Amino acid sequence: MSCSPFDLRDYYLKELTDPQQRQMEAHIKDCPACREELDQLRLTQAALFSLRDEEIPQRIAFVSDPVFQPSRARRWWTAFWGSSGRLGFASAAMLSAALLFSALTRTASPAPVAGLSSAEIDRRIQQAVYSSEARQTAKTTQLVHDLAQRADSEHNLRLVAEDEARFAKEQQFAMEKSMGAVTNPASN
Amino acid sequence: MIFRAVEDTDLIRQASRGSVESYNLLVSRWEKRVYNYLLRVTGNREDALDLAQDVFLKAYQNLRKLDDPGRFAPWLYRIAHNEAYSLFRKRKPEVDAENVEPEATDTGIAVGGTSVFPIELSLAVASALERLSPDQREAVVLKIYQGFKFEEMADILSCPVSTVKSRLYSALQLLKAELAPISPRGVS
Repeated sequence: MSCSPFDLRDYYLKELTDPQQRQMEAHIKDCPACREELDQLRLTQAALFSLRDEEIPQRIAFVSDPVFQPSRARRWWTAFWGSSGRLGFASAAMLSAALLFSALTRTASPAPVAGLSSAEIDRRIQQAVYSSEARQTAKTTQLVHDLAQRADSEHNLRLVAEDEARFAKEQQFAMEKSMGAVTNPASN
Repeated sequence: MIFRAVEDTDLIRQASRGSVESYNLLVSRWEKRVYNYLLRVTGNREDALDLAQDVFLKAYQNLRKLDDPGRFAPWLYRIAHNEAYSLFRKRKPEVDAENVEPEATDTGIAVGGTSVFPIELSLAVASALERLSPDQREAVVLKIYQGFKFEEMADILSCPVSTVKSRLYSALQLLKAELAPISPRGVS
């Protein structure tokens, strides 16, 4: 074995680098002693391989029980993100919390303007309401009036058109009548 | 090479986030190898099965501590190694765990029903492995049967690579001497 550049057993067990392996191959070709040693190693390994792996007598029944999982916090986190129901509930809870927080921290409505009593405020509000209603009523009346006017004008136009049609008809009748008297005097 | 739709590293990441299904799939991929490692280290099927269950439980509980999912195998075997030696210490607290001999085993007897090798060879190998020290035997199991690199073995066993090589090569020397007279019969 000492004649080889590297340990023959390292070579046999493929523990050398690629260049070292190639160097050993070249050496072994020309070294009967190393070849014999290598054969011995092969025979020993082949004999060891006569002892085959056994099948495991019982499959390892494993971790269907959550107790085996890594940690409680981790299990909770995984289960949380894996459940749409819980996720929906959490979202609703967060929204509720946000609303509650907003309600609690919102600034109070502004105080009444200094110098105005609540009766005066009520009066002004009433006044504003009345003026608004009055504007609405006036606008509505105007709209109704406009519509009525429009209907009247349309009616008048229609009457004029009918009169014109009737007059044209009478004119035509008179013309036909006079022409008939000229062209056919014997018919009378 | 068998194509896997989901790599171990993906399963590890999913399992570390709490996916029981991913971890169960990971267990199904590794349980036979871990069981056989423990079987050869302890020499007892019942112990090997109990320890395998403990190993996968501990691995699951500590999965988030695994920084590099690509190093899952040495990490898992280190847990297995620690569990096995913890059992040795419990069984024989007065004896240094490094010097504990495994219990008598019938490892080789049940193996080989479908083996292409003669049953005598399997028995001889089992017997030869039993005669190794626990450290030597574990080095052989990790390298020859489980296929780890020296550096990974050093991680698993918490010792320098030089120690790993020393244990392995002394074991191979002993095995070669033990098995040489019979191995040619079983190995072509």
